[in-house]
Amino acid sequence: MITRYQIAYKNLLRKKARTLLTIIGITLSSWVLVSLLGFNQGYERALNRDIENMGYQIMVMAKGCPYEAATMMLQGGTGLRYIEKSMVGSILKEPEIDQATPILMQAFFDPNKGENGGIAGYFGVDPATYPSMKPFFRFRQGEWFHDDSADEAVMGFEAAELEQREVGDMIFVPEKNVKLKVVGILERTGTQDDGTIFVPLKTLQKVSGIDMITTIGIKVKKDADIVELENKLYKLPDVQVVSLSQVKQTIMKLISTARIMVLSVAIIAILIAMVGVINTILMSVLERIQEIGILKTMGAMPGDIFSLVWTETLILCACGGVAGIGFAIGFASATDFLVRIILPYAPAGGLVVIDVSLAMLTMGIILLVGLMSGLYPAWKAGRVRPLESIRR
Amino acid sequence: MKSALKDVALALDQRLRVFYLAVTLIILVTATPVCGAVGCDLNDPDRDVARLFPNSSGYRTSYASIEKRGGEPLLRKVETRLGDRFHGIYETVDVPYTIYEIYSGKEKVGYIHGVNEKGQFGGIQVFVALDMAGTIKSFYIQKITSQWAKKLRDPAFGAQFRGMSLKDLEQYDPLAGKGTGKVGEIQNPVSEAETDFRAALRALKKNLILMDEFVFSTEGKKP
Repeated sequence: MITRYQIAYKNLLRKKARTLLTIIGITLSSWVLVSLLGFNQGYERALNRDIENMGYQIMVMAKGCPYEAATMMLQGGTGLRYIEKSMVGSILKEPEIDQATPILMQAFFDPNKGENGGIAGYFGVDPATYPSMKPFFRFRQGEWFHDDSADEAVMGFEAAELEQREVGDMIFVPEKNVKLKVVGILERTGTQDDGTIFVPLKTLQKVSGIDMITTIGIKVKKDADIVELENKLYKLPDVQVVSLSQVKQTIMKLISTARIMVLSVAIIAILIAMVGVINTILMSVLERIQEIGILKTMGAMPGDIFSLVWTETLILCACGGVAGIGFAIGFASATDFLVRIILPYAPAGGLVVIDVSLAMLTMGIILLVGLMSGLYPAWKAGRVRPLESIRR
Repeated sequence: MKSALKDVALALDQRLRVFYLAVTLIILVTATPVCGAVGCDLNDPDRDVARLFPNSSGYRTSYASIEKRGGEPLLRKVETRLGDRFHGIYETVDVPYTIYEIYSGKEKVGYIHGVNEKGQFGGIQVFVALDMAGTIKSFYIQKITSQWAKKLRDPAFGAQFRGMSLKDLEQYDPLAGKGTGKVGEIQNPVSEAETDFRAALRALKKNLILMDEFVFSTEGKKP
């Protein structure tokens, strides 16, 4: 016996071009929708990973430092604000703190990097405390510094690749004309550390002629009250405290405009697809009005006709939904690439993450919206009066 | 009232600081030199193509690697022609090379191609602009880290290579750092930078051999 699904399928095949165009419409909207949801999920996950990989949850820096740091990085100038390294000792007295590490950020202008020159950034880190904050670091070659004031450098994977450096090679600090020996090259981490050149804190202080630091990275004990700790740290003179969760919120706000724009496009795409579904099914019903009348004279109830028409909608939406999700998964890396071009800041790692639950959710939304679109045509088909329709 | 206003001001100030910190982090991340499996691209192709090929009207980019064009046998062939092995962890068979095809109207008028080379204190990026016969129109060091970098990037140094082709560079032995004929006449502008000078010449020879393998030999236009 032929089933309701077979009948619906055959009905859709009668107008192949129309059915195909409707499915394409649904495919495009589900593609956009699942990519958007995947981006929402993936971006936050990547950002969290970037922030977790920093190794610390709170940063303490001199008041006004972020303004100066931004200027320095943009213009390659100096003028960073600094704090005393001794502050690390006083901060460590707080019971909530697990570890604290002093960091000195410096950037030097290299006139021979490209046509207009470029900035070479260095991170001065304390060999005694910094490595334990980055337990996930793996060395491709070599190891950490041999002493805390050695003229040595450890390079992130991409920094080493760009500079073609291997352990034992020398690097040259522009502006300062200082040579450092490369003692370690890190494996790729997928974070900003890949592009960083690490130097012992004392060495960078000596190179730059500054015996202070720019930042203190703080790792908080498990179950410690971070808010209370922040309040305590605020009482320190001339420093500002920034928790990385605040930074995360700010970055999320920065990209919210892009998210809203894409969401708007997704909603418009879904609305267009809905209209397409209504149009296709309604046309199909109107063209088959006599057939429906005959079915009714043969004993079909309004509910049977309704479910038959609704099944056609279901098949259209299911095909479009599956195809859209398939395209979204297949072209996720291309979407990722485009998103990176558009966004002001994109963390490392996959930005569009589509997993099974997300695919199911999208499928559910598409089916729900599609079935709602099919309500009117199905109801209209169910109300057809047999004799009137046959007389037409 | 006054204290409430102060609280609001403080809250706004804190938000602003967090915003600036986020901006700083973004700049830190984007300011660092980040590349994929490291090829050698022009930093600003629109500007650089117009500078290296003043009469050009456009360009098209294509990519090639030894791995995709012939694998290990091609690598051995390139090494033999170069007179040196590919070495280190970055000079590998899978390095992607960007080839810029230069057009004047609809007519292809030449190529720009760059390679990375290990220098004394950092990577050196050596680009050449070639006409359709494979003759050097311009030689350009895009990036070099050295205290003598200025002299090696000086247009006068690059001008020595104008008019040369692979035939001339074939007379250069990268291992010995010596050449005969035109290439033997190339002057090192600064004797202290001998390592980088040799690296630049090796890069140039490698560059021209790769262009011959990727482009000229396939187009039947041996330089």
